[in-house]
Amino acid sequence: MSDPVDPRFEKLPVPVARQRRPGWPSAVWLVPILAVVAAGVLAIRAYLSAGPTIEITFDSAEGLEVGKSDVRYKNVPVGKITSVEITEDQRAILVKVKLESGAASLAAKDSRFWVERPRIGVGGVSGVGTLLSGAYIGVDRGTSTDKTDRFVGLEKPPGVTHDQAGRRFRIMAVDAGSLGVQSPVYLRRQQVGLISALALSPDGKRIDIEIFINSPYDRDVTDTAVFWNASGLDVSIDASGLHLDTQSLATVVAGGIAFGFREGDPPGHPAAEGAQFNLFDDRTHALARPDPTRLPLAMRFHQPLRGVGSGTQIDFEGVRIGQIDAINLGYDSTTHGFFSDVDATIYPERLGAAFAALVDEGRRRGKTGPQMLQALVARGLRAQVRSASLITGQLFIALRWFPGGRGTTPVAERDGVWVVPTERGGTDQIQDQVESIVAKIDRIPFDAIGGDARDAMHAATSLLGHLDGEVVPTAQQLVGQAGAAMAALHDSLSALRDNVAAPDSAIQQTTRSTLEQLENAARSLRGLTDYLQHHPESLLRGRASGPEPR
Amino acid sequence: MIRGIDVRLAACHSCELVVRVPDFEDHAEAACPRCHASVRFRKRNARTYVVALLVAALALYFPANALTIMYTEQFPERRADTILSGVKFLWERGSWGLAMIVFAASILVPVVKLGALGFLVVSAMRHSAWRPRARTRLYRALEVIGHWSMLDVFVVALLTAVVQLGQFARVTPGPAVLPFAGVVILTMLASASFDARAIWDRGMCE
Repeated sequence: MSDPVDPRFEKLPVPVARQRRPGWPSAVWLVPILAVVAAGVLAIRAYLSAGPTIEITFDSAEGLEVGKSDVRYKNVPVGKITSVEITEDQRAILVKVKLESGAASLAAKDSRFWVERPRIGVGGVSGVGTLLSGAYIGVDRGTSTDKTDRFVGLEKPPGVTHDQAGRRFRIMAVDAGSLGVQSPVYLRRQQVGLISALALSPDGKRIDIEIFINSPYDRDVTDTAVFWNASGLDVSIDASGLHLDTQSLATVVAGGIAFGFREGDPPGHPAAEGAQFNLFDDRTHALARPDPTRLPLAMRFHQPLRGVGSGTQIDFEGVRIGQIDAINLGYDSTTHGFFSDVDATIYPERLGAAFAALVDEGRRRGKTGPQMLQALVARGLRAQVRSASLITGQLFIALRWFPGGRGTTPVAERDGVWVVPTERGGTDQIQDQVESIVAKIDRIPFDAIGGDARDAMHAATSLLGHLDGEVVPTAQQLVGQAGAAMAALHDSLSALRDNVAAPDSAIQQTTRSTLEQLENAARSLRGLTDYLQHHPESLLRGRASGPEPR
Repeated sequence: MIRGIDVRLAACHSCELVVRVPDFEDHAEAACPRCHASVRFRKRNARTYVVALLVAALALYFPANALTIMYTEQFPERRADTILSGVKFLWERGSWGLAMIVFAASILVPVVKLGALGFLVVSAMRHSAWRPRARTRLYRALEVIGHWSMLDVFVVALLTAVVQLGQFARVTPGPAVLPFAGVVILTMLASASFDARAIWDRGMCE
């Protein structure tokens, strides 16, 4: 203030003084504060929007690419693949996925992950969209509240997702057949669910199948429902003909389970979740009413039983009352013959009212079951192997009447087994007839006939040889002579022509002079006759003088 | 050498009128007698401004690099790139030149600017006498390259506008664009706020 002004600058203008606006110099610090706040907000937002990172192991990383493939829940992207590596033991693929914040609940312990890629199966085609978009990881959100960050990926999409409404049931099967996970479950040929899991039981003796029935059909699974394997084409040929049964074209290849209800069963209550059922081999077995009474039956056949086996029907008066359980070949040391012992089971209830009447009669007469059977045998009841169809060759055991049958084999209750005598079967008779025809044909002496025919042929051959050697040369000679004769004849004829037809030939001339003389003679004769006409008297008087007759 | 401030001479920033500035009391400031613009020896609060803006730029620098700057959907691929991953992608695709340009313009330049301005302002505040001429050249260089640091923002803006092929290709700006633009603008403002004369206030060549 007190500085002296430099004299050089004294003339320079001086700025005017004005009130300084109350400065707020620190206002500029608002800028970094705002920036820090903005950065903080961004950071917090990024942190919040970053969901958990989870690890999923897969057998194959086919189609998965870092940055390209994502994780989708119901086809909505919910996370990104951050890395695809091989696990430390080099056996699987470890996929690291960063889920979005809203999808954090997908990391539930029972969530399932799988790689969605195009799949073509018998049941249909899936994942076609991934052909263009590339594979992605599908997720089925679990219901568990426990969280985890390590998952084992499924190789196939699960058939049933947690959010599907319906119920699960357990089926015990002896044989899985062509059943597999995702195989359909049918009710009245309508698909109502599918197989959600299939595994060998721990003891390896049966197959544990878990099926999932969609709501509302799960209420149709009652405790009286029967399940059967509807896989493949059920072609059966039995005594009543050819049967073909299938649920749908898909089950022919992919297999499936069907369920239904036995006729006459009570409607039943809806089965509880996880209820167990047995799997029958086929529809017929499943729907057949269980037979309360089973009678073991034994038969002994003295004939080969080719074509008869376990399951062959036993027919009585057209009713299928049982089937064969086993056939054992036996040897009789007294006759040195073989025989077949057939064990069978019959279900007498299948006779219906007839059985009731028989039981009734037995009770009235005070006879036991075996005694009743003995009475029937005495009236000619026999077991016989018969052919149901000559075309298919299907055989069955018929219990038939042979009133004049051979001596009855006594029926004895052998260890509680009922024995029925047998009669040689119908097929056997046909076979015998055919055999006798063959034997007759055999007896025809084809050899001798053949020898005779050969001799005849020999004779014919020698005859032909003779003709060839002797007759033919003679004939040739004859033909030559005939040719010469014809030539001579020809010569004679031409000589004749020369002699007769030529104008200067001797015959011609002689003939001509002869004719001239004949003419002259004729003329003289005419002159004579004219004269005589005019002068008939000259015959008597001689010629008068006068003119010469003309 | 005599500075204007030493002999209390100042040029009006508006009309370049040279005035002799006497001392005023507090709460009074000098105004150009010709154009009435305020007349001062140095930019007002220059160092505070520079420091504040640099701090702000630094704060935004982190989200700008950490967050996604650009989403590209090029069927069937979907990418979310930060600046660095974009550079890496370009490099891996073999576009080395482009990768280097983007790296230089988007990563190197802001860092260099932040660092260099910080160095300049700190050295000026400490009245350092270290190589003032070199520091002045550095400042000029900063002014020149600063023009190019908006490259990334322009690239994203251009691509977003141009590449909109419906399902097949789409570019959308990511959340990092705004912080990145903020970094660039703040560093530009900071470098504009810096008063290069401060370099010489103690480092005068005698």
